[in-house]
Amino acid sequence: MKRLLSAIGLAAALSLPAVAQNPAVTLPDPESIRPPMDVSTLKNYLPIGRPKDLKPSAVPDLSGDWAADNKRGGFGQSLSGADPGGRMRGKEPDIKYLPWALQRTLAENPPSGPDAKYELTTDPQMHYCEPHGVGRIYMHPVKVRYVQTPEAVYILHEMGPVFRIVWMQADHPDDPDPQYWGNSIGWYENGDTLVVDSIGYNDRSWLDQVGHPHTEKLHTIERYKRIGTDVLEYDITVDDPGAYAAPWNGHRNFIKSTTGFMRYQWVCSVRDNNAHYQNTTAPGNASGQTTFGK
Amino acid sequence: MKKMLLAIALGILTASGTALAHHGGNLYDTTKTVELKGTITKFEWGTPHNQIYFDVKTDKGEVQHWVGSTEPAGVMLERGWTRKSLAPGDMVTVYIFAAKNGATVGNVQKVVKADGTILTA
Repeated sequence: MKRLLSAIGLAAALSLPAVAQNPAVTLPDPESIRPPMDVSTLKNYLPIGRPKDLKPSAVPDLSGDWAADNKRGGFGQSLSGADPGGRMRGKEPDIKYLPWALQRTLAENPPSGPDAKYELTTDPQMHYCEPHGVGRIYMHPVKVRYVQTPEAVYILHEMGPVFRIVWMQADHPDDPDPQYWGNSIGWYENGDTLVVDSIGYNDRSWLDQVGHPHTEKLHTIERYKRIGTDVLEYDITVDDPGAYAAPWNGHRNFIKSTTGFMRYQWVCSVRDNNAHYQNTTAPGNASGQTTFGK
Repeated sequence: MKKMLLAIALGILTASGTALAHHGGNLYDTTKTVELKGTITKFEWGTPHNQIYFDVKTDKGEVQHWVGSTEPAGVMLERGWTRKSLAPGDMVTVYIFAAKNGATVGNVQKVVKADGTILTA
């Protein structure tokens, strides 16, 4: 044991100067923490697609520009309905993690929020400008517009800018290619709600700002409910048997914005992200260690 | 360093929204607002955050180069800012959550221009 401790001590002593000379550090790669099983064989907890007994519904008017409201979590940090602020990461009472998913979540370094380690963030969106994906796209102070046609609802995000297409007449393909935004179909219910059912996701994006993972078995059900002239309620169900032992839910509120859509396009630039770190964060980073610029 | 007045008032309250969402907020002291009088040298308007560069002269006559950030341009438009809100040469008082390690960087909370215009971040 003495030899082992000595070896560890020597290794630590040798490693410290190396960090000081070269502040770029290699962190454990959260993406190496993956499901221990073949997720393609798993069955989702909830029915996928349009209900067979769907009743006719009036079409709610979702027109206008919508921005995150402070109620129901604001734009928040976590998709957890119990913990929109991201203060209970890994301990949310409403999320039943599979062990690997918990380990993966806790291995991630969020760029913002209570658990933020911005200088050491493992956020793929921040580092590579990869798409936010469903759920997380709504966690920024950026507006969204819904363009409704009989064939499709087009969801236009200032963030990106990116758009999604929700097919209102078609069904999901039998074996959709896994992609960042998945394949979405939709319908209306109760005269006030747009339901968006999505599958066919890849497993590369975070579900929210705090790094909740998902697999290619992710199935999301979003409900956009008009509850007044200026308020839109958003509910999302995460149904992923590859990462979680049960479905869980997130909530947001949107309010009408009158400041103009797309006045400023939030385009992601790796160059700008790195520059922001270097200019306004690096000087305040006492350790000098960072994942930026790698 | 008299010009670097520490204004503890309301620091935590004003931090609740922006600092949590703001990148780098974990490295800044969000419990107190530092008040700095200086001159704008550059204003970068964009994403992921606007960046405000300004110089502050200390009591000893040395010039400190500060960089503060706000939320991105699209958000600041909603708060009444434009890309022309600040320009090089503007005399300003900047209220900022500064870096915990003493570096001259931070999250801008408010800018007051010489003509009294208040720009809330």
